[in-house]
Amino acid sequence: MDLHAPNVGFVVAAYGISAVVLIGLAIKTIVFLKTQERQLTGLEERQARRRGSVHER
Amino acid sequence: MQTFANPTRFLKLSDRLLPWAGALTLIAFAGGLYLALVEAPQDYQQGETVRIMFVHVPAAWLALLVYSFMALAHSTAIVLRHPLADVAAKAAAPLGASFAFLALATGSLWGKPMWGTWWQWGDARLTSMFVLFLLYLGYLATWEAISDPMRGARIAAIVAIVGFINVPIVKFSVDWWSTLHQPASVLRLGGPTIHSSLLLPLMAMAVAYGMLFIWLWLIGMKAEILKRRVRHMQIAAAGKA
Repeated sequence: MDLHAPNVGFVVAAYGISAVVLIGLAIKTIVFLKTQERQLTGLEERQARRRGSVHER
Repeated sequence: MQTFANPTRFLKLSDRLLPWAGALTLIAFAGGLYLALVEAPQDYQQGETVRIMFVHVPAAWLALLVYSFMALAHSTAIVLRHPLADVAAKAAAPLGASFAFLALATGSLWGKPMWGTWWQWGDARLTSMFVLFLLYLGYLATWEAISDPMRGARIAAIVAIVGFINVPIVKFSVDWWSTLHQPASVLRLGGPTIHSSLLLPLMAMAVAYGMLFIWLWLIGMKAEILKRRVRHMQIAAAGKA
């Protein structure tokens, strides 16, 4: 790619915006999954603890 | 398809597929970007600006395909009562919306140097693509506004299925109306009209975008299933308290 060609700034902007949106989308999707996994693990642990305390009584 | 109707079975399958899908996405993007930015020649008329096509066209294709997929998934949920079909559509929506946004943004960046304008409201392709983006936003807003997933799915299905009317309008707008946007040059009867030196990078980038969709859609499906489990457990815990 010739970086001194006319209108190359538009090409850089198009690839830049695509990279920002797609990487941002990937990060958002992965963070959403990790949040759900953490919440589910927390709830399961709390449930297990509650079951354990009922058995002890 | 019914085999994976069980969410637990789907989660197991997605755990096996996710690392492969992630790796293939990275490889596809590395290859696609090399072909698009290094190997592809300048166009004799457009010069370097032709490279915008390699990110613009796959984004537009994916935006249309994902919306069609959502309409099909909701139809499957209604007809076959497939328990994961609504989840599949919901997980695909933010991805499709992002592709639609990218198609509009990169198209605008191509339009300014080539047509001399960022945007043209009178152009059927541009306007129908913008309507598709709004439909995505409306669909996402529907899910956000309704907390009950069952009710949310019913209303989202209406938005997706009714909105599907716009998909053929986007596709054939360049044939039905005289527009500023050029007619189809790849997906057309009679075969592609662009040279193989530009077609190959375009197809490679389309594969990369497709792989990215599959990878992120699997992650999104998994997250949505877990979110529903969390919700059920919270409701059950609140009921006991």
